[in-house]
Amino acid sequence: MRALPTLLPRYFILIGVTAGVTILLELLRNVLDAPLIILIYLLTAAISTTVWGLGPGLFAAVVSFLAFSYFFAPPIYSFATPSLQDVIALGIFLVIALIISRLVRRARNREQDAIDLYELGTALANTRDEQTSALLAAQHSLKVFQAQAVALSIQRASQTLITVQLPEGVLPSSDPQATAPIQTASGLMGQMRIWRANQSFSATEQRLLRTFAGQTALALERAALIQTENRAKVLEESDQLKSALLSSVSHELRTPLATIRAAATSLRNGEVDWDSQSRPKLLTAIDEEARHLDQLVGNLLDMSKIESGALMPDWQWNDLNEIVSSVLNRILYLPQSHSISINFPNDLPLLPVDYGQMEQVFGNLFNNSLKYAKKETEILASATVEADYVRVEITNEGSSVPEEDLTRIFDKFYRAKTADRVTGTGLGLSICKGIIDAHGGRMWAENLPGRFAFIFTLPLNRAGLPAPILADEADPL
Amino acid sequence: MTTRPTILVIDDEPQILQALQTILGEKRFKVVTANCGKDGLTLAATSAPEVIILDLGLPDMDGVEVCARLRQWTQTPIIVLSVRDNDRDKVRALDKGADDYLTKPFSIDELLARVRVALRHRSSQSDSAPALITSGAISIDLQKRLVTRDGLPIKLTFVEFNLLAYLASNVGRVLTHQLILEHIWGANQSKGVENLRVYMRQLRQKLEADPHRPKYILNEAGVGYRFALSPEL
Repeated sequence: MRALPTLLPRYFILIGVTAGVTILLELLRNVLDAPLIILIYLLTAAISTTVWGLGPGLFAAVVSFLAFSYFFAPPIYSFATPSLQDVIALGIFLVIALIISRLVRRARNREQDAIDLYELGTALANTRDEQTSALLAAQHSLKVFQAQAVALSIQRASQTLITVQLPEGVLPSSDPQATAPIQTASGLMGQMRIWRANQSFSATEQRLLRTFAGQTALALERAALIQTENRAKVLEESDQLKSALLSSVSHELRTPLATIRAAATSLRNGEVDWDSQSRPKLLTAIDEEARHLDQLVGNLLDMSKIESGALMPDWQWNDLNEIVSSVLNRILYLPQSHSISINFPNDLPLLPVDYGQMEQVFGNLFNNSLKYAKKETEILASATVEADYVRVEITNEGSSVPEEDLTRIFDKFYRAKTADRVTGTGLGLSICKGIIDAHGGRMWAENLPGRFAFIFTLPLNRAGLPAPILADEADPL
Repeated sequence: MTTRPTILVIDDEPQILQALQTILGEKRFKVVTANCGKDGLTLAATSAPEVIILDLGLPDMDGVEVCARLRQWTQTPIIVLSVRDNDRDKVRALDKGADDYLTKPFSIDELLARVRVALRHRSSQSDSAPALITSGAISIDLQKRLVTRDGLPIKLTFVEFNLLAYLASNVGRVLTHQLILEHIWGANQSKGVENLRVYMRQLRQKLEADPHRPKYILNEAGVGYRFALSPEL
């Protein structure tokens, strides 16, 4: 019940409204008959009840009745001793106010139930996991039933899967005021229990509670289905990955192995003379192909780490110059026909990155550029510092990639269509992207006029890694 | 004929042991092998090797632990072998006193170069450090604290010189970030590796013809730095 002071203005307004109606009727006194006038007063009281409820309704009924008996019931302009007829009229006024107020309240309750149910429904519709669904159901029940505590438990295969208790902490030791089963077509999933102080649940409330529980059951079932579907999708994808991997890898592994075996056996069975010029060539081939195999195995390991989410960068403040220089030292067979030049600003700040992983990125991008660039051209790496990130661009004078394939080149096993003569697993770029993503950066490719560019960004800062404290030169003296 | 230096190889893979025995044997080394950490520790004491090659992935004990136990009583150079995925073990072993490392698969050229450096450091352990170090076009006078390239002096700051002198006195050897930090700023200084990176960048800019293709100060990814044994100029 609301406090009287907040309701008081309503009673004054009602007096005003009744006065207004009375003045209007007074003016129309000659046109209207007494029964019609009573009906008009009744209408006023009925509207008041509909809008403001029982209290103001009854008040309006009494005020209207008094106004009628003073102004319009003979003797006019005075209160006569109430006749039986007047008493019956007053009774009718009150009974009508009562009936209307009950009807209105019931309609309002239904509306509120519908709203509550709708809110729960929309909230549940947006959730995709079981824990959140259960929590939402408990929160809504706590609010809607103005309960002390709500407990919700879900079992599966006789094991408790989820329990939610609101408010968190200890549940009341007494029996709950109401319980509802959480049940779907496939069986009982669990139950919902509600405690409320000194107030039992009405039949309507119990019905609403059961509807809540039903909605919750549906949401939980759906969440479980979504999870199953996701698992199936992941399995299917990893299955596809595995078969793509097997076909790509078996081919890629066999090519160097074939070379190695051919070279080794021909050296061993004496088919190649000791002083033949082919000897060093065959030996170089064995060495190069073994190296190639090593790189391949490394790529596969990296890919499986990225796939399983196990790629955790070891964040440290690193100098990109240093990383690039060790990559350049390691590109052993830099074809004479290409050159790589680095154009990093002298004051390039240290970046929070994983040294080894960034080596991979630069190594793969340089190798890729070397594979696809035209002969006698330069591969250029440059870096620029932007607001809160560094942008690195590695460009080569290679042929452009069709716009629609620019994102696909980072997909696993994607190989440029024109690249039949170029070897590779199609893993290098997707590893690069995986690493840059793990570093909180972005990687993409662009066709520039006459050049092809790989571009990636790296954040300048990393939450949780304090900025590097650099010693002053004077410091150690 | 001089005596053949003994090399102890501790590795659990028979193919590797056999290959190293054959190849190092060809190169006039006497090769002793052990296929577990326990035997390795015993052989290190009984066969008096000049160099120990130690694989970090052993069946019976942690390779880093073997390294630490060896260092309790001998200064024999240790070269650790690791695979790409246990980089951290490699750094731990180096911090525990290993002299160098190689990542499998490696080439025999690399292994022989490491063994040569190890033997050289072993023979010079007793000698006092030379006052003048020259490498390629660079010469470093440790007493006068002077550095020149092609005869022209290079101006280095106090810390830069100390760094260069430390690396150059250990030419060919990998020095971990930790070791360098302790050497330059003392064991109880908590300077981060980032300081080292900044100083190394400055040093390279002054020393190297092309700082992006360093010939003198080489990076060892995630481990530390190495002063090149014979810079290819």
